[in-house]
Amino acid sequence: MWMKRTFVTGLAIGLLVAAGIAAAAITYERYDTKTLKRTIRRDAVLCGVNTGLPGFSTPDASGNWAGFDVDFCRAVAAAIFNDPKKVTFVPLDATDRFKELQSRKVDILSRNSTWSMSRETNYDLYFPAVSYYDGQGFMVPKARNVDAALDLDGSKVCVQDGTTTALNLADYFRGNNIKYTEMKFAKLEEVVKAYNAGQCDTFTADASQLYALRLTLGKPDDHVILPDIISKEPLAPVVRQRDDDWMMMVKWTLYAMINAEELGITSANIDEALKSKKPDVMRLVGTEGVYGEDLGLSKDWAARIIRHVGNYGEVYERNVGSGSKLRIPRGLNQLWSAGGIQYAPPIR
Amino acid sequence: MIHIRRATWLHLVAAAGLMLSITQASAQQPDRGDQPGLIPDDSVQLEPEFQKQMVLYRTTEAPGTIIISTADRHLYLVQGNGRALRYGIGVGRDGFTWQGLLKISRKAEWPDWTPPPEMIARQPYLPRFMAGGPGNPLGARAMYLGATVYRIHGTNQPDTIGTAISSGCFRLVNSDVADLYERIPVGTKVIVRQKPEL
Repeated sequence: MWMKRTFVTGLAIGLLVAAGIAAAAITYERYDTKTLKRTIRRDAVLCGVNTGLPGFSTPDASGNWAGFDVDFCRAVAAAIFNDPKKVTFVPLDATDRFKELQSRKVDILSRNSTWSMSRETNYDLYFPAVSYYDGQGFMVPKARNVDAALDLDGSKVCVQDGTTTALNLADYFRGNNIKYTEMKFAKLEEVVKAYNAGQCDTFTADASQLYALRLTLGKPDDHVILPDIISKEPLAPVVRQRDDDWMMMVKWTLYAMINAEELGITSANIDEALKSKKPDVMRLVGTEGVYGEDLGLSKDWAARIIRHVGNYGEVYERNVGSGSKLRIPRGLNQLWSAGGIQYAPPIR
Repeated sequence: MIHIRRATWLHLVAAAGLMLSITQASAQQPDRGDQPGLIPDDSVQLEPEFQKQMVLYRTTEAPGTIIISTADRHLYLVQGNGRALRYGIGVGRDGFTWQGLLKISRKAEWPDWTPPPEMIARQPYLPRFMAGGPGNPLGARAMYLGATVYRIHGTNQPDTIGTAISSGCFRLVNSDVADLYERIPVGTKVIVRQKPEL
């Protein structure tokens, strides 16, 4: 009798504990998949950015952030809050950026991160769409009059040692039967210094980096970056897995900006666009259909993004393109219909 | 029979309308702000994005094709292998607003300039005829676009590259237009792309 009662009590306690754990797990899971709700309750998007990278993410003296990656988070905030200022920027190092995202220190990572398979699988993350196609390029003195990487036969090439950059260089030159002399340096600064001192004919790094480094040379205008891109470095925003609503919101924020450029809608003519009778324009700005509501946002979500932040081209030119010091040509990041590969699925 | 006749009449009316609008927006002829006789300042440095340069440009068009993007103020000469030679241009503020395909029908060095009557009416100070030369608003070279009055030409106002002030022509600085002139034959395919309309 006594034994039996103990057993029943034990069973009851055990079941209670199990139920408690299950409830906690479900609550946790729910909580984890409600990034949009938490963002709205907090009244700000938590955005992980680079601690300082010209054109992509830099704080000014009073702590105002600017840049291509920064503007993407502002676009997300504009879509949600109709206010691009409702972002808290969290500067993150390269080493712990993915862990900080996993541990929910930020809602979104917009920090010049290359999308690769292992990063998605190992860290349980998702890269919704490519915001910037980067890749390895070459800088040469303008006076050399070289137009193509294939013309670099017999060159002395400066490169940072022990990086994928050095491997790509070897693959590309070997694959194209180009002879070259490699000059390796441990640090990127040493590479730049050697090039600036004329020790090598060209130096190679990611194109976005080359444009930034060019500004540090004695006479930036005396150097050009060749149009050739020899590797794939697709930079993308990053979110956690298992929150599909949030992931889709981030993805379509970028696609709305790219579609806006393709349709000719800018921050300057958005009011005119709201009066447009063209069906694809109407669907994007929300005068036809309720596409934004399916994302948990308002009908005019895309119009908000364009009004406050601009279309993809505006954001590009302002931060890294012709309106910036970097002056990076659109290249691969031009629209697919204008010489590049930026392509957004339609909103319909 | 009657149907055919009506169609023909409609075509005629449409054609007349088209010609009228083309003549009004006549492009060979620079509009207000043109300074015939002005000798260009060759030391004018174009903004980097409008300087001639090789750029990455993916297209299915054959090498040798010209693609004009009026919104970006760029003229691309397709080189193949994913690249193009890009020049900065000045475009029309009105006039050439349609997009599509044309061919270079004629090439001329240091072209003469004969502003049409409508233009003289608008800008009485313009000369009735101006021989080709450094002070000519058409600049060092002209390439005629099909049967239209539009051209790709040089300029005596290099500071207008990157702007939309002409009556529809596409202008390059003289050194660039001379460079382009040497690279392309009569018959070259020219694709004009306009900014999408809302």
